[in-house]
Parts: sequence; C-alpha cells; structure tokens
Amino acid sequence: MNFMDTKEHILNSLRKNVRETYDMPELSFKKRTFEDPVKAFIETTITTAGAKLMEIKPDDDINQKIREVYPDARIIASNIPGVEANLNPDTLAEAQELEKTDVGVIKGEVACAENGCVWIPQTMKEKAICFISECLVILVSRKNIVSNMHEAYERIQFNDYGFGTFISGPSKTADIEQSLVYGAQAARGVTIFLTD
Amino acid sequence: MSTKHSIAAEKFLQNGERVTRHDQTFWSVRTKRDTLAYELDEWENLREAADKIKKHTVTHLADYLEQFEQNATRNGGIVHWAKDAEEYNQIVLKILRQHEVKKVVKSKSMLTEECHLNDHLFKQGIDVVETDLGERILQLMELAPSHIVMPAIHITREQVAECFRQKGIIAEHGTHAAEGILPTGEDPNQSSDPTFLTRAARYHLRDNFMTAECGMTGANFGIAETGDIVVCTNEGNADMSTSVPKLHIVSMGIEKLIPNYEAMGVFQRLLARHGTGQATTVYTSHFRGPRPGGEMHIILVDNGRSSILGNEEHWQTLKCMRCGACMNTCPVYRRTGGYSYTYFIPGPIGINLGMLKNADENYHNLSACSLCCSCDNVCPVKVDLSTQIYRWRQNLDGMHHADAMKKAMSKGMKVIFEHPNLYTSSLKFAPLVNAMPKCLTGIKLNGWTYGHEMPVFAKKSFHEIWKKQLRSESV
Ligand code: SF4
Ligand code: SF4
Repeated sequence: MNFMDTKEHILNSLRKNVRETYDMPELSFKKRTFEDPVKAFIETTITTAGAKLMEIKPDDDINQKIREVYPDARIIASNIPGVEANLNPDTLAEAQELEKTDVGVIKGEVACAENGCVWIPQTMKEKAICFISECLVILVSRKNIVSNMHEAYERIQFNDYGFGTFISGPSKTADIEQSLVYGAQAARGVTIFLTD
Repeated sequence: MSTKHSIAAEKFLQNGERVTRHDQTFWSVRTKRDTLAYELDEWENLREAADKIKKHTVTHLADYLEQFEQNATRNGGIVHWAKDAEEYNQIVLKILRQHEVKKVVKSKSMLTEECHLNDHLFKQGIDVVETDLGERILQLMELAPSHIVMPAIHITREQVAECFRQKGIIAEHGTHAAEGILPTGEDPNQSSDPTFLTRAARYHLRDNFMTAECGMTGANFGIAETGDIVVCTNEGNADMSTSVPKLHIVSMGIEKLIPNYEAMGVFQRLLARHGTGQATTVYTSHFRGPRPGGEMHIILVDNGRSSILGNEEHWQTLKCMRCGACMNTCPVYRRTGGYSYTYFIPGPIGINLGMLKNADENYHNLSACSLCCSCDNVCPVKVDLSTQIYRWRQNLDGMHHADAMKKAMSKGMKVIFEHPNLYTSSLKFAPLVNAMPKCLTGIKLNGWTYGHEMPVFAKKSFHEIWKKQLRSESV
C-alpha cells in the first residue's frame, strides 16, 4: 500500500465508522482567577514550581543581579541585548557548543499564576539554551501575568522559529521511589526575574 | 478457574511489604489529585468540557486530521500516515536510514511500545536510548513499564543503584555525580541515594543527547488549527532530545488530535493534575516545525483506532489521554501491580484497550476489577471504564471464556443493581457483617473471597446519611 492509499484508507475508515456526531461544547464556564495574579504567580513559583524569584527594579543592573544569584557561574549564554554572556545561541554553529553553559538567560512573554508556567517562544537559533543550561534566568514582566491557562493560551505568540514552551520551575523527576529530585535532564535551577 | 491475572497477582501479593508500598505510592498520587480538585471550582466543568471536546473531535477526526496535515505541512513539517504497527516501523526506519542515523534519543511514548519500535530498530543495528529516567532504568534492566506515567516506580533505589553499577554508569559518572550530593568520603559505589543516582543518570544521558543524530518524541496533543505537536514532560527529556539532534520524528496516535488552543487550555489544566497530582508538568512544549537546518517528521498512526470508532460499546476509549489516573485509583491495580496484567497498558483503561487489541489473549484481565467505579469518577475525559468492563464480561459467554463461578456472582450483582429496593436493603444490612466472626465472612469457599479481605461496612449507608442529614441541610 503506498502513502496516498494509507491516508485515504484511514480517513475512509474513520468516516465510515462514525455513527453519531457531537458538537464542540461551549467553554464559557467560570474559570479560576486571582484578585492579585502577580502575588499568586510569585507564591506558586517559589513553592510548588520550586524556582527562585527576584523582583527587578527599572534601574537595577541585570548583570549584577545574575552574579548575585549565581556567583559561581563561569559560562553564561544569552542573546538578550545588554546581558554580558560568553556564548550567544544565535551565532553558534552547533547546539552542542552550549553543553557547558552554567547559566542561560532567556525571556518569557506570558506568565501564569495558577501553575507558575512561563511561555518562552523560541527567539534564538539554538533553543538548547532553554534546556541544556545548568541554571536558567527567565526575565518576565509583571504586566504579562495572567491567572490561568485559558488566558495564557489566548495570549501566546510564536516567532518565525517554530517552537515555544511553557516552563514551570526546574526539571524534576520522581522516578526513583517517588522521591522528588530537581535537575533530571534539563535545568537544575530556575530563577525568575520579575521586571516592571 | 483462575485467570492469568489472578495467578500473577497471587505471586505479587506474596511480598506484603511491596504490595503496601505500591498501594500507598499510587494512593498518594490519587490524594494529590484530590487536593487539586478541591482547589478548582470549575473542576467538573473542565471534565465535562474535556469529555465533550474529545467526543466532538473523534467523531470529526477525518476532517481534523486533514486540517492538521495542511497546517503542519505549511509549517515545514513532513506528515506520514501509518495504518498499522508494521507500516509505522517501516516509515521510521526509512527516515532514519535516509539520515544515516546510528543512535536515536527517545522520550517516552506509549505508541512506540504499542508498535514494538525499539526491537525493530535494534534488529536493524540502530541504537535507541530511552531518555525518561524511569524508562531508561527499565531499558537497562530489560524490563517493561508497569505504569504508563510512572513506569519504574515499582523498582527500589537499591535495584537502580545495582543496575547503574553493572552498566558502568557509576564507574563513569559516579565521582562527578557525587560532588555536592554525597558526604565527602562516601563511596559512590555503595550509595543508593536517589539524588545521586538521578545526577549520575543525568550525565549518562547528556552524553547520549550530544551524540545522537535523531530525537524521537510522542505527542500528548496535536492541534488541528495550528499544526502544533504538544509534548508534556517533567524532566525536559523531550526537549533535550529535540534541541541537539537536527532530526525530530514525532509519533502520534490519530486520536490525540484536538481542535484548537481553546481546547488545549482545558487539557493542559487537566493532564498533570490527574496524572501526577501536579498543577502542571514542568514543560509544555509546542513543536510547530523543524529547528533551523533540521527536519521534523510527524507520523500519524491508526493501528486499529479507526475501527474502534465503529465499536458502539467501546469507542469512548478513544477519548483517553493516557494520564494514568484510572490506574492510580484502581484498588486492584494498586494491589496487584502492572505486571499482573497481560496487556502492556495495565489498569482500567488497559483492560479495555487489551480486549480491543486481542480479546483471546487479554480476557484474563477482566477479572482484575471489582466494579467499584472509582476509575470512571476520576477519569478527566469521562471514559466509561467500568461499564465497558462489565459489558466485556457479559460477552465472555459468547467467547467461551466465562468462568462459571464469576458468572454466577455477576448475575447476583446484576440482580442487586437492577433492583433499587433490594440494593438499598442489602446496604442497610451490610453493617451486620461487621459483627460476624471472620471465620464466617472470610470463608475461602470460592474464588472471590480467597485473597480478598472482607470490607468493613460503614455503620450507616450513604443513602441513609443522605436521606437523614445531608438532604435536609442542603435544602
Ligand atoms: S471499577 Fe474495576 S477497574 Fe475501575 S477502579 Fe474499580 S476495580 Fe479498578
Ligand atoms: S482512561 Fe481516563 S483516567 Fe485512564 S488514562 Fe485514560 S484519560 Fe486517564
């Protein structure tokens, strides 16, 4: 059977086997919102998500703040203008070159109070920076915090790169006897920089 | 007559400590789910919505698949269709051959288990490295998963340590992994500390991410309107697998499709809350096309799904999003473990999917159910799991597998359930059983009480409490 046959075969089989059809439901029920989503986001981030959070004032020096949270970092990767980095994910030939990154500094566009998720659209050539770095600093504005995932999905945008991810805290696993361990395969630590 | 499930279960039950640990582990996940449920006033609205969205999507699946293909192709992806496991395996092999791939890093996917992909690739000389920690442990131990979300939870830390030692992982990464985790002077070869073992696995898997030529992932959701593939993990292994190699192959069962982002909001909120009792997975990643200079292939797999749609009694299994909640709650699963079932997916949903795949091989699992209905009540998409199990049992007669005694018992239950008055009065008298000596109630007279402790009946039935107190309070 060639490719077209298979596709037609599957679609025909599906069309033939439907007996009764159902409509898409109305989703207008009331969803949980927070009176103060910023406060709720901070709370979720530092508790269940297992991340750190720093509130950044407009005249704070970002580079100094990064040093403050990760004083031992030797290799910093970022493509954000103004961030002092040793590696730039836009100009590397291969993702492997990011392997020894201590701290990756990236930007989030939307943050969600109910679960600590931050939407990070790919804005760099090598998205490995978001996962391979030992620790992540995620910059996100307090103006972009929403209450729940319904609101988040109304807002998220893609760039030309065909990838985006919600990240909520450091990589974790409980695969060995259900004991919670941070730093399974991706970032071991995450610090949210909450900007104005 | 015993079923394969009851025989295997009996073996599992011999290690009381293990049974208790297994039971408590999954019950604690169920409890976490409950806590999150109480936090959300819209919990039942969400389940209702998820149920209806899935019903809508699977009954319009052909249209949505076409829409998905169009959008995914426009985004730069390459879409393939596979009618069964064999076609699927061939497609994967062909892509890998075209790219001269020697090593694949793979994030957890039940579909690839279903199609026995790993064996197929190994035979062709291609190395497949599982990257979910639990899956990797099982792969190294040459074991199958015993749960669809927490596949290796039945393995002890000592067993993991022993396995890592045998496979040379501790020798290679132990010293590095011990830094800052084990007290100075402690021998990494003696340790079974979960943090240390996880760290050792991290370095071991890093090496593989750096050298593999292809990353394979499953799909938790496909979104018709945008062409996105959504993959949810806690470890970030799907992201690692697709950020370094240039080639990404997605394997998706056709029923994983949903219409749009509005629907995605509903499912994102339900998946982790139900599966692991978390408000979200750490990563919810949307793949909308290949990475720069790379290729993204999406294989849409039928393998029996389109014909399940035509099965009036069991088509709702297609709503399943493989969250694992029905296993976590099932009293039989919790006390008998995943390996007692004959199908690779255990628990309530596995009983039904196994029957749909091959009834002659898997009818044994039908005995692994007390018809308590707990699974129906936790399922985020409202699959009618226990009703389906009941229907299979009724049809066993025709398959010549019905066990005479069970038949008699379920007939008794049927009589009770179909006569509300009898049901109420038998409940009212049930507490009397509490006062009876155990030698009477626990009599090992039949296959049912054997190995089953009699339940302690509440002094008052819910019906009575409802009638006397709750109802008057609620008006
Ligand atoms: S109804 Fe059966 S399968 Fe479902 S939870 Fe109860 S015992 Fe398990
Ligand atoms: S049947 Fe329902 S509860 Fe069970 S795995 Fe599927 S979605 Fe989850």
